[in-house]
Amino acid sequence: MSTAMNFGSKSFQPRPPDKGSFPLDHFGECQRFKEKFLRCLRESGFENASCRKQSKEYLECRMERQLMAREPLEKLGFGDLTDGQSEARSPF
Amino acid sequence: MGGLWRPGWRWIAFWGERCSRLGPSFGAAERVEPFLRLGCSGTRSAVTGLRRLGTWKRPSRARDPAEQPGRRLKSTNPFTRAQEEDWRRRNKTVLTYVAAAAVGMLGASYAAVPLYRLYCQTTGLGGSAVAGHASDQIENMVPVKDRIIKVTFNADVHASLQWNFRPQQTEIYVVPGETALAFYKAKNPTDKPVIGISTYNVVPFEAGQYFNKIQCFCFEEQRLNPQEEVDMPVFFYIDPEFAEDPRMVNVDLITLSYTFFEAKEGHKLPVPGYN
Repeated sequence: MSTAMNFGSKSFQPRPPDKGSFPLDHFGECQRFKEKFLRCLRESGFENASCRKQSKEYLECRMERQLMAREPLEKLGFGDLTDGQSEARSPF
Repeated sequence: MGGLWRPGWRWIAFWGERCSRLGPSFGAAERVEPFLRLGCSGTRSAVTGLRRLGTWKRPSRARDPAEQPGRRLKSTNPFTRAQEEDWRRRNKTVLTYVAAAAVGMLGASYAAVPLYRLYCQTTGLGGSAVAGHASDQIENMVPVKDRIIKVTFNADVHASLQWNFRPQQTEIYVVPGETALAFYKAKNPTDKPVIGISTYNVVPFEAGQYFNKIQCFCFEEQRLNPQEEVDMPVFFYIDPEFAEDPRMVNVDLITLSYTFFEAKEGHKLPVPGYN
């Protein structure tokens, strides 16, 4: 929050997150997916667009382990990635 | 008796003469006179008019009780006396309206606070929360591919909190309308479980209203056991309207900064938002 006391200056208003807070992953259950995502980011020069598949997998891991409220991926902005999912799931 | 107290009776007599009716004494002339006038019109009796006196509230009368005992009119001529009465009545009306306007202004200044808040929420001015952002907006938003924004991450810890808190990536390149994931890491090096709570900040401030977090780890108490290290993800997106805002034309760098505080018993971090 801005601490500047000048009247009329723009200040920042923090907003609560839309879907609340992530429960902490105390046991590191999704750490593998996180490592994959971070590795992809480093390799692609920190470009988010190329690593969206990994971020989707991380969120799916969280949803499976009850670390995140289950929601259709379209609602999380992965609509373009879910079309290809039903046809070909890459095994790893 | 003092002359100041007598005029009331004189006026009643005066009006009674004019209307050829006599009304009982009810106190000051100003109170009685309009009802007697009702009686004078001939359509209603003075009794009905005076009956109304008990039930009908005249707020303007109640406002200036100091005038009630009756002031001495300046003129003695019956014709100018009527005119002076008229002026006095009109003055009182004007005074009533002015007083009402003053009270109205005072009330409006109190009402302005929630109204301005509502206005800010609908228009999003001043960086406040823009209401009406539903989750189905995420479904339908189209990424603006030609506008790449660099988001850098910063992590801070309050002096009394001994956690090691840092971001796991220095920066990430996103476009408005695309959801992105970022990670922070926190470690509790002490031998006691510690509960922390965090808040965040976005610079530049004007871009902060377009920075929407779907889910993060802020504003809720997070407990770390001794020697425990956890990953803390932030899932966010930048509103596609960012690309259409003329004020954001030169904004290419957004810094997201998280600060962790120790959550003490009974100490409540002010949760943002007007809900």
